[in-house]
Amino acid sequence: MRRNALRSYQSILILKPDLDETQVDQALEKVSEFLKKNDGSCLKVEKWGKKRLAYRVKKNRFGYYLNIYHTCGNQNVSSLETEYKLFEQIIRYLVVRLGDKELERAVSREYKGEKSDSTGRETSPVKKENATKASDND
Amino acid sequence: MAHTKTKRTNTRKKSLLANKICRFCAEKVKFIDFYDIKLLKPLISERGKIVPSRISGNCAKHQRQLTTAIKRARNIALLPFTAEH
Ligand SMILES: [Zn+2]
Repeated sequence: MRRNALRSYQSILILKPDLDETQVDQALEKVSEFLKKNDGSCLKVEKWGKKRLAYRVKKNRFGYYLNIYHTCGNQNVSSLETEYKLFEQIIRYLVVRLGDKELERAVSREYKGEKSDSTGRETSPVKKENATKASDND
Repeated sequence: MAHTKTKRTNTRKKSLLANKICRFCAEKVKFIDFYDIKLLKPLISERGKIVPSRISGNCAKHQRQLTTAIKRARNIALLPFTAEH
């Protein structure tokens, strides 16, 4: 019998693009519930916001990205993944195991990868919205 | 003579092709994050294929890290599997 050890993981979740902030927070609460069920806890949450997907996922061209660093029992990862799969707000997920060094680096680092993206969004929010509508019609 | 010749061909090609040193070793990158698209984007071809290390000049260690990073990024729709038509 193997013991159930606590390990650290990184989950990337893609939510449906048409959710607003409160719905995203509700989804986050749901996810932290899932983690609790599987002996885990949330360490750090990064909201990457709405991004264009490289290919269509469940007919969506855009998705709301969430990046969560968390712990989880190492024998409960598959059950966590089924929870993600059954939660209909999530259109795609990826759970990656983190080593100690990687976790340290991830938690200590501030999230700033999207700075250039966010400035682009500020200058042309209307254009981008129009683009999404146009692509939805296609 | 020989020197000028190689230089000329290098400048004619893309900057990516001219690299003979591993770009990750040069910047002392320890981990290649799969969500760092700015880093990964130049290392895939137009068709979405991974650029071989013989062209990009990456060392074997970093090329291995890079392939797992690119494959993970593809799974969460940050990078394409193929060019969209
Ligand atoms: Zn290297």
